[in-house]
Amino acid sequence: MSRISQPSAPRTLLAAAIAVAAALTACSAPGDSGKSGGSSSGPIKIAVIDARSGQLSSLGNWEYKGAKLAVDEWNKKGGINGRKIQLKSFDDQGDPTTGTNLARKISSEKYIAMIGTSESAVTIAMAPVLKQEGIPNITSGQSDGLVALKSDFLFLNGPTSTTYDSTLAKYLVQDKGYKKIAMITNNGSYGTGEHDAFSKAVKDLGVTPVSDQVVTTDQKDFSAALTKIRANKPQVVFIGSEEVEAGLIVKQARDLGIAAPFAGAAPQGTPVFIDTAGKAAAEGTIVSSPYLSNDVSPAARKFAAAYKAAYGEDAELHGAKAYDGTSILLTALKNSNVATGKKLADAIRSTTYDGLLGQFQYGTNGVGITKTSIGVIKSGALVEQK
Amino acid sequence: MQDTLQTLVSGLSLGAVYALVAMGFSLVYRTMGLVNFAHADIAMIGAYAASTFYLTAKLPFAVAMVTAIVVTGAIGLVIERVLRPLENKDFDLMLIGTIGFGIVLQAVAILIWGTTGRAVPSPLHAAPLDIFGIRVRTYDLLVMAVAAIAVVALAFFLSRTKRGAAMQAVAMDHEAATAVGINVGRSNALAFAIGAGLAALAGGLVGPMLYVDASLGGALGIKGFAAAMLGGFGSIQGAVVGGVAIGVLDSYAAGHFQGYSVLVTFLVFTVAIMIRPTGIFGERTVSRA
Repeated sequence: MSRISQPSAPRTLLAAAIAVAAALTACSAPGDSGKSGGSSSGPIKIAVIDARSGQLSSLGNWEYKGAKLAVDEWNKKGGINGRKIQLKSFDDQGDPTTGTNLARKISSEKYIAMIGTSESAVTIAMAPVLKQEGIPNITSGQSDGLVALKSDFLFLNGPTSTTYDSTLAKYLVQDKGYKKIAMITNNGSYGTGEHDAFSKAVKDLGVTPVSDQVVTTDQKDFSAALTKIRANKPQVVFIGSEEVEAGLIVKQARDLGIAAPFAGAAPQGTPVFIDTAGKAAAEGTIVSSPYLSNDVSPAARKFAAAYKAAYGEDAELHGAKAYDGTSILLTALKNSNVATGKKLADAIRSTTYDGLLGQFQYGTNGVGITKTSIGVIKSGALVEQK
Repeated sequence: MQDTLQTLVSGLSLGAVYALVAMGFSLVYRTMGLVNFAHADIAMIGAYAASTFYLTAKLPFAVAMVTAIVVTGAIGLVIERVLRPLENKDFDLMLIGTIGFGIVLQAVAILIWGTTGRAVPSPLHAAPLDIFGIRVRTYDLLVMAVAAIAVVALAFFLSRTKRGAAMQAVAMDHEAATAVGINVGRSNALAFAIGAGLAALAGGLVGPMLYVDASLGGALGIKGFAAAMLGGFGSIQGAVVGGVAIGVLDSYAAGHFQGYSVLVTFLVFTVAIMIRPTGIFGERTVSRA
């Protein structure tokens, strides 16, 4: 079985072609400084970058739908200053490398603002490029790592992990009186943020977690971590991971005989989490969320009805967050007469907005809202706990 | 102690699945000398097909599995037929061809089933068994039993039937096999079809344990491939031992090293392969093109 391959002429030619192409792209990148992206006529170009394929695609799809709904409403009213808003979706596959490439791409294609991503890790990777290119970015991420970047161009469309988890910790420790709390989090950007925020929050209240398990983001079998948690007999288990993984953890925990309720932030309030875990297994899960249901306010009911009419499915937190974030961006564009770059970022910072999640008022850290409520899953739906 | 045994139990059931994947890799490799890189994605298609027949068409789980195996076996035949003109001519292209098929299968899965994936409920409703505080999921027992039956059936086929013996002959020397009148093309097609069927079996079984989406192949494929290498590429009993070893190793690594479990699993694997490059039962190293 000897297979000797020698470089043939076409192969050399191909290599040369690749080298030339690479050289060309390398040259064009620095020239594209594009500090003030768009022109003053034609459609206003806004990019949505999110995972549209892979395990995190449900997040990306919700975010896109929420953003699209806001843009469609504004376009129906005639756009901004007579200019239509053009929204285009890019798939980052939940991957930071792909995201960074897309950040360069939207800059060279003169998009003036970006909505997304719903993955803190991807957003953190993209932030330096967006800052350099002067593209304001409203993300659905909630990791405190986003705030730590101190980028003037990065805004969150919801609370940070610290807000979610300190509200949750207060409810579990003070209202419920739980003393034995176990934790299971993943080592991704979101999970690490949740881990740090929640463990700090409970420690501030004088409780040390009885078990602290870390899993990987693409792990599918959690028996080892869950067996250790079971041995500690916790009264409640905190989960810091995205929808699907959290669902799998709960499903497997019930198989292993863990009867304690689970608690967590936004992902555990979603239909994907409940479907993955199974209705019976998810029962009693305690959720900290800024948007518990579509019935929290008249504005939420109106949004939910429009969402249902447009997509034929029920709205949830992520769609609402993206809708709020996009509406804030569009309001800022209107207030600033379609400014770009630094001016647009300043306009977003000075925008106050009464949204679905509450009253937005951005500080210098890019966080606009600092309040969540507690809900509990009862027969497959999230019910507010007063 | 209880922890250790509980971890072992979950490692064994995933190990059984890795063993099935590794057997498929090995069967094709020993027959054709080819690493079928589309193998893991065939398993993913199998998982989707089984879950669709089970959840959407509401067939009993066993019937859904058999249907999925037949469907994916047919896909295996198609891949082999497309690659056949390259047989013994350009090996590199065949290898690239299987990678290409893998990508095509992922794209097809996204086209048919969308990007989100699905959780498959366990087909067995019996509560987990509690043996001295160790919880054993009844479904895990089923998976191990089915995997064991598949191993025995394959071993029987390869050693006791005429077709199987012909495949062994082709594996040893395909020119000599041709000379004694064995149809090498048909033998290769059969290897590909059985390999695909094994992949579908692994995928279908793993569905209710994990989560079915287009990237499932990656999770199964890398560990299944490692299992085949560890056991000795091309060896059927090696695939079984390697699969169980990787499953258990992975399970313990997850327990002790948490977030670094994958790193530890593959470090141990690398060291094992450095000490014994042919794997546990391997007679030859993988030939380098």
